[in-house]
Amino acid sequence: MRVQYVLSEIATGLRRNLTMTIALVIVVAISIAMFGTGLLVRSQAETTKGYWYDRIEISVFMCNEYSTGAGCADGAVTDAQRDTIRQTLEAHPEVDEVFYENQEQAFERFREQFDDSDVENIITPDQLPESFRVALQDPEEYDGVVSAVSGLPGVQEVTDQRQLLEPLFQTLDGVQVSAFAITLIQVIAAVLLIGNTIRLAAFSRRRETGIMRLVGASNFYIQLPFILEAAIAGLLGSLFGVVALFFGVELVVGRFIAPNLQFTSWVDSGDVWAAVPWLLLAGVLISVVASFVTLRRYLRV
Amino acid sequence: MILFDNVSKLYPTQNQPALDSLTMEVEKGEFVFLVGPSGSGKSTFLRLTLKEERPTAGRIRVAGKDLHRLSNWKVPHLRRRIGTVFQDFRLLPNKTVFENVAFALQVIGKPRRQINRDVPAVLELVGLDGKEDRLPDQLSGGEQQRVAVARAFVNRPLILLADEPTGNLDPGTSVGIMKLLDRINRTGTTVVMATHDQSIVDQMRKRVIELEHGKLVRDQSRGVYGYTR
Repeated sequence: MRVQYVLSEIATGLRRNLTMTIALVIVVAISIAMFGTGLLVRSQAETTKGYWYDRIEISVFMCNEYSTGAGCADGAVTDAQRDTIRQTLEAHPEVDEVFYENQEQAFERFREQFDDSDVENIITPDQLPESFRVALQDPEEYDGVVSAVSGLPGVQEVTDQRQLLEPLFQTLDGVQVSAFAITLIQVIAAVLLIGNTIRLAAFSRRRETGIMRLVGASNFYIQLPFILEAAIAGLLGSLFGVVALFFGVELVVGRFIAPNLQFTSWVDSGDVWAAVPWLLLAGVLISVVASFVTLRRYLRV
Repeated sequence: MILFDNVSKLYPTQNQPALDSLTMEVEKGEFVFLVGPSGSGKSTFLRLTLKEERPTAGRIRVAGKDLHRLSNWKVPHLRRRIGTVFQDFRLLPNKTVFENVAFALQVIGKPRRQINRDVPAVLELVGLDGKEDRLPDQLSGGEQQRVAVARAFVNRPLILLADEPTGNLDPGTSVGIMKLLDRINRTGTTVVMATHDQSIVDQMRKRVIELEHGKLVRDQSRGVYGYTR
């Protein structure tokens, strides 16, 4: 009897406020899609950072006989200078490992990178710099290492790859922040809409709820149909939002970004699946909390 | 059963108090008429008894409970022990007679078995057996009020509050409703009835409490509507 009553009340309520219910579903769907986008961008940023941080190293290029620049006034790096640089790097607390690459090895790598062209006929090993490749304990802490060696005699240039990636990370951070900002605005709109919808529903059923109060129905029992009504609309909206998110990831990332930009691994539908429970939960929770708060004001004992 | 101890009620938007230091007691099993002109505080008395409103000052005890100490979530349990009947019946128009009465039991979570047992019994008590499947607009005013009384009484409350139950009915029909309320009173249920209906009060010869401007001006056992004027 109870379950039957509650179900029929919900169906009536949703039908009676059909336009408001549709608006509610749409707003929740957009909120959840934006929220999902924010989550995906964040996991993308994490993946990209992780991918690159493993590979990030500082390269300390040393002078060869053709080098120009302040540190290379004495011509090619001497053995003593090279030892000083190596000792400085190895003594630095942030340095994890130091690899030495001589001019021959640099030439080999150079040749591999430009496999098809005939650069090897133009460039000779002695034109390339020898270098130290430095792996760091913490990829974030590159400043100290760079400044420790960049002034030393025999050092031509110190580069770190993080500088190259910084714009990418900034873009990802920006997308993430704006997705969450839009989510926040949408959630506020959703909460207000849910409040309004539930208020209308409570008003259109005030005769029933009035009698229920009078004969001593508990608050929970009076409010339950309204809260479930909002929860169902919220769940429906979340489902639509999740579907939109799947399409978005498939079309934008799967068809366009991932095949063209292969320098990192990209989010895919697997990541969306991982987010689905949270998104559905968020959609339902927003609806339930919003309707509960509204009912406290409009269905008082 | 109902005890008002120095109770005042001032609504925020009004200058005159709706109840002004009212002290009175209704014993268990009594039948009490609450009379007085409109705005004298009769409805406020009923609303305070149901804890729909809180008194500005004073203490109220209903069915052994101190309403001031009764927490909000226990108010529904108080109301299950009080049946209420109104001038305008307050039936659900899209539910049948049976469903209207059953609704009162459904929403407090009574099992179907009990509903199927108690609803026909109370409909027979109010004289509506055979009309279970009618909708309210297929009934006369008197019959609709009988449905409302059945709904108020189906859970066997300790107290029945009636706010001008005969206000919309012709004199003949009113007498029928009063006989019904009297029968309910004889089962041991305390009945408090606010009314303007002079002839009914005069005929019934029950206790009469008269209010004026929120003050008790007369409390008379076996009284009449208004011997003072």
